Amino acid sequence: MVTHIFLQHVLGLIPMWSTILSYFPKGTVFFGAFMTLVIPLLLMRVIRLLRNFIRGSGRSLSGKGQAGFKEPQGGQGEGHAAVQHFYGNFDDDLNALKSAIGGNSDVHFREFVVAGANLRAVLVYVEGMQTEDQINKHVMKTLMKDSADEFKEALKATKPYVKNGLGAFIKKRILPVSVIFDVHNATELKQAILRGYTALMVEGMTEAILVDTPNNKTRTISEPISETLLRGPRLGFTEVLTENTAMLRQHGRNESLEIKKFEVGTRAKKSLALVYMRDIVNADLLAEVEKRLQTVDMDFIIESGYIEQLIEDDELSPFQQTQNTERPDRVLSAIMEGRIAILLDGTPFALIVPVTFSMLLQSPEDYYERWLPGTLLRCLRFFAAFLALTAPALYISFISFHPGLIPTELVISIINARQGVPFPSLIEVLILEISIEILREAGIRLPQPIGPAMGIVGGLIIGDAAVNAGIVSPFLVIVVSVTAISSFSIPMYSAGITLRILRFVGMIFASVLGILGTVLFLLLVCSHLVKLKSFGVPYLTPVTPFRFNGWKDLFLRAPMRLMYQRPDLMKPRDSTRKRRS
Amino acid sequence: MFIRKDDKISTSQAAIYLNNSILGAGILAFPRFGVQSVGTPDVWMSLLLSGMIAMMSVLIMVKLSQQFPGRTVFQYAKKIAGSPIGAVIGFIMVMYFMLIAGYELRVFAEVTLFYLLEGTPVWAIVIPFIWVATYLVHGGINSIARLYQIIIPASILILILSFGLSVRLFDINHLRPVLSEGVMPVLSGLKSMMLLFAGCEMTMVLVAHMDDPKQAAKAMVYGTSLPLILYLITIIVVIGGMSADSVMRSTWPTLDLLRSFETAGLLLERFEFPFIVIWMMQLFCNFCSFYYGASLGITQLFGAKLRPVILGITPLLYIIALMPKRINDLFGMGTFIGFTGVGLFLVLPILLSAVYIIRRKGLKQNVQ
Repeated sequence: MVTHIFLQHVLGLIPMWSTILSYFPKGTVFFGAFMTLVIPLLLMRVIRLLRNFIRGSGRSLSGKGQAGFKEPQGGQGEGHAAVQHFYGNFDDDLNALKSAIGGNSDVHFREFVVAGANLRAVLVYVEGMQTEDQINKHVMKTLMKDSADEFKEALKATKPYVKNGLGAFIKKRILPVSVIFDVHNATELKQAILRGYTALMVEGMTEAILVDTPNNKTRTISEPISETLLRGPRLGFTEVLTENTAMLRQHGRNESLEIKKFEVGTRAKKSLALVYMRDIVNADLLAEVEKRLQTVDMDFIIESGYIEQLIEDDELSPFQQTQNTERPDRVLSAIMEGRIAILLDGTPFALIVPVTFSMLLQSPEDYYERWLPGTLLRCLRFFAAFLALTAPALYISFISFHPGLIPTELVISIINARQGVPFPSLIEVLILEISIEILREAGIRLPQPIGPAMGIVGGLIIGDAAVNAGIVSPFLVIVVSVTAISSFSIPMYSAGITLRILRFVGMIFASVLGILGTVLFLLLVCSHLVKLKSFGVPYLTPVTPFRFNGWKDLFLRAPMRLMYQRPDLMKPRDSTRKRRS
Repeated sequence: MFIRKDDKISTSQAAIYLNNSILGAGILAFPRFGVQSVGTPDVWMSLLLSGMIAMMSVLIMVKLSQQFPGRTVFQYAKKIAGSPIGAVIGFIMVMYFMLIAGYELRVFAEVTLFYLLEGTPVWAIVIPFIWVATYLVHGGINSIARLYQIIIPASILILILSFGLSVRLFDINHLRPVLSEGVMPVLSGLKSMMLLFAGCEMTMVLVAHMDDPKQAAKAMVYGTSLPLILYLITIIVVIGGMSADSVMRSTWPTLDLLRSFETAGLLLERFEFPFIVIWMMQLFCNFCSFYYGASLGITQLFGAKLRPVILGITPLLYIIALMPKRINDLFGMGTFIGFTGVGLFLVLPILLSAVYIIRRKGLKQNVQ
């Protein structure tokens, strides 16, 4: 105590000192300062741990070797330790094959005798994947009937073909089939048969012949449901990769359109195709995409969504870093801009990389319609995206924090309408927003005929009843429905989901700090977006980094004649779309 | 290279960065300071003059920085003036950047408290703000510059729109008579108007981060003239709309002007709301500029790593922001910062350049 008084006395002699002391921050301030430091520190630590956890587990897998991804052209089975060679003896080979895959009920062995030569032969195929007609008419009929004379003649003329040239003889002279492959070892034969090829083995032949390509189960080409357009090609990808690449070849006839196929999946193999324009795409970008695909390591890749999630830049970002589409026209226009498309067998969804934010709000129709409607619709979509993101947050901040900022008459009517509502605005909004989200989720699963009926029951009846029951205010129903409709106007379904998630974050920010919270939320989202990159391309190009050329295709869809340059954000090898005369 | 690893900014980004470092809290209150120190409506002349002076000094800073490519003032001050003095200069600049960041933060909090969130404790506004800024600054100068590129068009648009709507209050007689008391009031106003351009010391940091440092002069002149133009519009519209006398009695004259009229038929009746929202974002940018500058300075002075420093100085910024007890303290702090700033951006570059030239030309030393 004494020292305290003494200190006060001494220090009091210097009048300046006490003033300075009075400005010395109090304990609570230090506590605040401490919190300022500690909470972001903790958050960053958590994020880093999370990221390391996600990345770390993936990396240890891919360290085992890049078995999941190989080029089929180079990989003719070399490197496989367990390559089984043919014994060279028909019976032994057949028995080996039977013991290996004969246990499957759907593998059929059709044994017969080649007419004229009296050689035993066998056709091996998987039930349901052979083309019955082709095998009957062109393989069996030929070998069992038509070629009898030819064999007899050949037998008379020269003997040695039986030893080493039988396969070549059959291919050259006997079988009227266009697609034929040779298989030289048993391992490969097994795989080919199970993949759906029909194999032919003839006594005395040193190899097996694949006489028929798999008859894959497909569906007819139809209009993509997830991306419907009023104007534009009614053409969507199917689940068959070859059909999809053929579609691209057919519509993008150009010799520099390059389709590179890879195999992915360590256990169940699937083909994956990289599609790009050789003379447009940036070589570094291509190398980067290939490098990332090499890290894909998973025993079975079902859908291109797996690829998307395994090669993206930032797993913790709410924003998608690849674009998925079922539309060949979209893929073609993207690769013409210098992007790369990734197609996977077994899914109609192709991935386009790199993606920028503006792409998520573009629809192919913008380009098919004239430029004025295109521009207006695009601006409308940007506005809708903004509404879908912030409308409930703005509602909360205006109603709960700043009613003084809206016109007085409007405030009066809103307050009157909210009179009976017992909840704070956040709860009120959450009730309605969550019901709408549930309704949406249910709507996807409902059978087609019930869907609209449920929509009416859910949307109209429940909404009306909720207002009448005094749970929510009618004004809020307007806000929430406008928000929901706005989020439907976003052409990319997955981008819509992102906005839906962020909308709830925005609502929480707004409920804590009002309009300041909303502003901070927007700043946070922007801060995240400026940091985000998709395959090295800043996500917000061309807004920032600013690219004037890109602005012709952002809010504005400039007239076609002005769009003679490819977006330079892709750093393409060939930057002009047409020669200007 | 398709994927960039270096943290450099383009010429336009550098210009916008400088613009956002200058254009900060000043715009809300400066018409009052201006009118108080000039005494006549000729504030705009002092503003124009001080803008010119600021631009000259920016050019000197650019020239000086260009002699040390890739180095910021924290590094080359040591080369020019020797290690101890250079370190002191660097330290003063770091302190100054932190002070200015804290000041912006507090002004932000005060404006928000006054207009939007009455009764909210200051910390509840300041702390989330710092957090969001930390997230952005953590991404490096490139991320910051990109965010500025998003925000600046919106700010300018809203600013012009708000002022455009206030044109109905504009009376040219409020600005007349021109030079009624001669040139002296204009010159005496220079002192306070120079304070507005505090922040252009950032030039000495920015040039080192440019893709193409040869364009630095152009970028920095653009970066200084944009705020000059916006300030000019503001002062003319505010004094023309409110008259010099009422400007002098208002705490935030610019906001008061926007509050003083109602636009019927629009969604919003009063236009101070979008203005405050956009100015929140602008202040955020301004804060981030100095936040990054201070972190970079500490990093380069003490050889630390940037990211821990960015996190590490958050408590300091918070304490500085909470130091002023009442609004007059805050304005006092602003004036102090302004004078330090003027010292830093007028005196320091000239001194450094002089020493550099003497050592290079006179003593034939190798100063690199």
